[in-house]
Amino acid sequence: MTNPVRLALVQNRLDHISLQMGWVMTRTARSPIFSQSHDFSCFLGDASGILISQADGIPIHTGGGGLALRVLMQTFADDIDDEDVFLLNDPYVAGGNHLPDWVIARPVFFDGHHVGWACNRAHQSDIGGGAAGTYNPQATEIFHEGLRIPPMKLIERGKLRQDVWNLLLLNSRTPDLMDGDLRAMLGSTRIGMERLQAVVADLGLEEALACFEGILDHGDRMLRACLAEVPDGTWYGEDATLNDCFEDIRTEIRVALIVEGDQVTVDFSETGPQMKGFKNSSVANTMSAAYMALGSFFPEDLPRNEGTFRSVKLIMPEGSAVNPRPPAPMTMNTVFIAHHIVHAIWQALGDARPDLACAGWGRSVHPTCSGHDGARNRDYIMYHWHGMPGGGALEGRDGFAQIGHLSALGGLAISNLEDYEQLYPVRYRKHELRCDGGGVGEYRGGSGVEYEVEMLDPVTFYFRSEGLGPPSGYGTRGGREGLGGFMEVTQSDGKHDLPTAYGTRHYETCTYHALSPGGGGWGDPRKRPVEKVARDVRDGVVSRDAAATFYGVAVGPDGTLDEEATRRLRG
Amino acid sequence: MSQVELLPPQSPWRVGVDIGGTFTDLVLHDAAGLLHVAKVPSTPDDPARGVMAALQALADRHAMSMGDLLAGCDLLVHGSTVATNTMLEGKGARTGMLTTEGFRDSLEIRRGIREDMWDHRAPFAPVLVPRHLRLGIPGRIDRDGIEIAPLDEEAVEAAAQTFKAEGVEAVAVCLLNCFLNTDHERRCGEILARHFDRHHIALSSEIAPIIGEYERGSTAVVNATLSHRVVPYLNRLDKTLTEGGLRHPMLLVQSNGGAASVAQVTSRPVNLTLSGPAAAVGALNLVAEQTGHDDLISMEIGGTSCDVVMMRGGQVALSDDLMIAGYHVSTPAVDVHTVGAGGGTIARVDAGGMLQLGPEGAGADPGPACYGKGGTRPTVTDALLVLGRLREGPLANGAVTLDLPRARKALETHVAGPLKLSVEEAAAGVISVLEQNLLHAVERISIERGYDPASCYLVAAGGAGPMHGSAVARQLGCSTVYIPRQAGAFCALGMLNADVRRDLSQVLFGDLDTMDASSVDTGFSSLEKQAVEILAMEGFEGKRVDLERSADLRYRGQQFPVRVPAPTFDRAAIRLAFEDQHQRMFGHIQPQGELELTALHVTGRGLIPRIDPARDTRSTEGPLPIETRDVHADLNHGILATPVYASDDLASGVTLTGPLLIEEATTTLYAGPGDTVTVDAYGNYRVTLEAT
Repeated sequence: MTNPVRLALVQNRLDHISLQMGWVMTRTARSPIFSQSHDFSCFLGDASGILISQADGIPIHTGGGGLALRVLMQTFADDIDDEDVFLLNDPYVAGGNHLPDWVIARPVFFDGHHVGWACNRAHQSDIGGGAAGTYNPQATEIFHEGLRIPPMKLIERGKLRQDVWNLLLLNSRTPDLMDGDLRAMLGSTRIGMERLQAVVADLGLEEALACFEGILDHGDRMLRACLAEVPDGTWYGEDATLNDCFEDIRTEIRVALIVEGDQVTVDFSETGPQMKGFKNSSVANTMSAAYMALGSFFPEDLPRNEGTFRSVKLIMPEGSAVNPRPPAPMTMNTVFIAHHIVHAIWQALGDARPDLACAGWGRSVHPTCSGHDGARNRDYIMYHWHGMPGGGALEGRDGFAQIGHLSALGGLAISNLEDYEQLYPVRYRKHELRCDGGGVGEYRGGSGVEYEVEMLDPVTFYFRSEGLGPPSGYGTRGGREGLGGFMEVTQSDGKHDLPTAYGTRHYETCTYHALSPGGGGWGDPRKRPVEKVARDVRDGVVSRDAAATFYGVAVGPDGTLDEEATRRLRG
Repeated sequence: MSQVELLPPQSPWRVGVDIGGTFTDLVLHDAAGLLHVAKVPSTPDDPARGVMAALQALADRHAMSMGDLLAGCDLLVHGSTVATNTMLEGKGARTGMLTTEGFRDSLEIRRGIREDMWDHRAPFAPVLVPRHLRLGIPGRIDRDGIEIAPLDEEAVEAAAQTFKAEGVEAVAVCLLNCFLNTDHERRCGEILARHFDRHHIALSSEIAPIIGEYERGSTAVVNATLSHRVVPYLNRLDKTLTEGGLRHPMLLVQSNGGAASVAQVTSRPVNLTLSGPAAAVGALNLVAEQTGHDDLISMEIGGTSCDVVMMRGGQVALSDDLMIAGYHVSTPAVDVHTVGAGGGTIARVDAGGMLQLGPEGAGADPGPACYGKGGTRPTVTDALLVLGRLREGPLANGAVTLDLPRARKALETHVAGPLKLSVEEAAAGVISVLEQNLLHAVERISIERGYDPASCYLVAAGGAGPMHGSAVARQLGCSTVYIPRQAGAFCALGMLNADVRRDLSQVLFGDLDTMDASSVDTGFSSLEKQAVEILAMEGFEGKRVDLERSADLRYRGQQFPVRVPAPTFDRAAIRLAFEDQHQRMFGHIQPQGELELTALHVTGRGLIPRIDPARDTRSTEGPLPIETRDVHADLNHGILATPVYASDDLASGVTLTGPLLIEEATTTLYAGPGDTVTVDAYGNYRVTLEAT
């Protein structure tokens, strides 16, 4: 066994290398998706394509890059040389998660030996396809979603394949951004390669490989220690999506979590069939969502490498929504259906380990808009992030009042309204918490918001409102679900329009009004301390009626607590 | 402490006092240029006692009265954690908030920003103003700064009365787009002033005139929250000092690294949130003068954390994105990167059998296991003791006594046993992981910002910094480590060397190439006028005032701007300066890119003459070590017989070769095998690393 101190130093060093690759990405990339939204991850693999560090990364990329590396290695077998660099994105043949996320993979050689990989996976600003900006809600085939790239060499023995480069740029609506971003990815992986080579040089080949193995073994032991504390048995969870982007068709994401000792099988056999629209989950995305659900459920700070998930087996039936057959479209999957997969697994885990149960997060009702800003005379594309939902509760804290996507564990900052008024032809009318939006519970779900904005110029809306209609943030351990989402558009002539969840519509000046879904509650609402309920009522996030009905707390019209009536209500 | 310190100080002198989490440090610079240091335990329940105790300790040492000490002082600069502690302890004022109607929740939503997204189980810090005390007021300013709905003044009056009835002590106001038009906020302030003291009303457009209602509002709220606790404390301390004989009111170090009077801070205590660590700027200025090298990185390590600050070309960057106790504060602040790595940081073995260090620390109480105050978990200090780097027995003038068997037991139980290592191996492992964490922290603040740390001198400071400076510098590829003799009181030293400073800004949007030059000039002039007025109130006029203009710019479509100097509104020069910065930070430029100006900044400085520490004129030849003991060097060299020197025996001109230890009163310096330590003209240590 390798020296434990050395192992700790190597693990920290690998994590630091992947973080440093991330700094290079943000410092050198051209598009704001990299430099400001950090929609990418950087990772290192060992010689067999197993991830040994992914310290820089967004949750929904967890572990997924390993699949891409292993497919790449099968494809190229012995034809992998020093100074080669590979590119891929396709979810069906290249281990990709969805088409916009491109992987640059650089093999790392030391003394003639292939010792590992330095890679990143990053969302491109445009890759062609049926809609600008990579998301095409009308897609029914992957061909409508942009350029498909099998594992291929972008650089061959140190020489950039200029013809390939030209082909890539020709297929983007934003070739300048793509050019800069790909160069940033190449620069970042070069730094990763050099630093990984330095690790091997410092330790010697044999010891370095032993350390990589030791790091993976440690990750494995960490999750196994968590799983050992989950009772053996089969635990079930499910979530459902209610439309296929075209029609109201219910598709269940069902999971059976089979726990045996310190191992777990995540079985999606009962999950519904693949969908017409772009919410299908690729194998890589399903794997990442499952890993992320497990990794985020346990409070331990689990190592960000693939060894951590060695004890996890996945069953993903072909033709299902979590492993579709080509050419099903799938660009939306990193948000929806990832959200549903995490919910299903969290529910199963929550039954097995009630003390750690997490209530569900709301799904969003935020559209994208495009149009021409008359006053500033420029075209724009705007995301209505301010329509984000509330988060779910768990023991020890209420749900986040409003939070980014679950698949990023909220890792997305919502902009200030003032910034948006400067950038886009909009005037905000309201952005405030909903009353009774959060699911009731000893810990209350996040409220979600009421959101109202005036669009000052004619505008096209692209709706992606997975949270529209019934509640989406489930309650747990006696807590209840949060309220569902709602949206309407009031046109300048006073006419009201109730759009469908997905689709494209054009309006003259109008007002968009939405209620974003609330998160679920945790635990028996009657155990919520009386003074917290009274504060919620005073704060206007719980109504007096709900306080009396669900929480058993009587609050007078002036906001004062009626202690006697409360004693009666709580029995 | 050196012999010279025992001479009584020559008046007039200057005093810096820094209240840290564990110790309160004092440095006095006298008319002869001699530096005197005192260190006493901090007194968190009433920090002023620590200040007075530090002064008393120095007075006692020279058989002076407190009155004499204060009377001889012509400048007292103070850095205080009182603002930060108030936030950490949740002991701020009961605060109300006025917002634009329909938008009262940004303070609670916090833009959904999670510090560590993976740690989704952690709650946010409690919201500082409960929702029922956040009241929406009708009235609206649009995106061009034009009023499109008048302010409902009756609603403001009604809100003020509600606040009174609710026992609210301070009020923050943050209205949408007020950074473009302050009329509504000013009117709110006037109406609130019928019910509240002016200093207990925080208008966001005054406290933080930036775009972004969340950060601006949060800053105003923190300011309001602090107004009731911080200001009275400062006034009391100032009064005590003045009554004790201090001739000039004390100055405070602000987050921007500059000083201000209590009067100036009274309306903006939020500027004190980084009061202590920001003083590193003054210390780095001194080091730059003493070494002639102005590319520096300081690494100040205390009991719980390490603060890293970078100076490039004599400049320390400011950022305006501080997080204090979980609350966003947007005031100009020295860019300090802090990591949880210090003498009290705890080592453990996780469930998977991996050695982990921190971020959890043992704090001041119980402290490391070897302090014998009830701590049983092994810390960095315990590891250093086991390795012979620290001496058994009394430390820091007897404040604590280091007990080796306790240190060994803690390491054996929690690290060596589980990892099947010897206690010495475990201790060496803990130190190498610590030094790796420090290395990564320094790389972060330099490489992430586009600078190569190898070209810098590493300035090792704080009680624990000089022990690790050489090892970290070696891994960074730096040639030189510089250690001021007052390293243990680094920030207090920096306070002696601070200017009075105020940073002012104004949002101004425009296309760099086409915007009206007069709007830029008007903006700058107005900011400069304010700066001059403020500095005049602080007693600075004419040549003692320095003004600097800078501007924020970005390529159209970018979110984050880059700040560049703008001494005159020369569009080509500004573009060039922007491209230079952008190239360094982001590795590329857009040669014909449309440049957007977003804000104007003016830095006003009231120039205080730099301190001029005296040259060390003593001469010693061939100093002898006080002992030689077995000390662990590093993983490669293992244990080496290592001479230990007393700092008193080392005068300027001395050159020694490592491995060696130098014991100072408040810190211990370690130099590795082959390193050369010279004592420079100021009595400070310069460690030249053996090339590897």
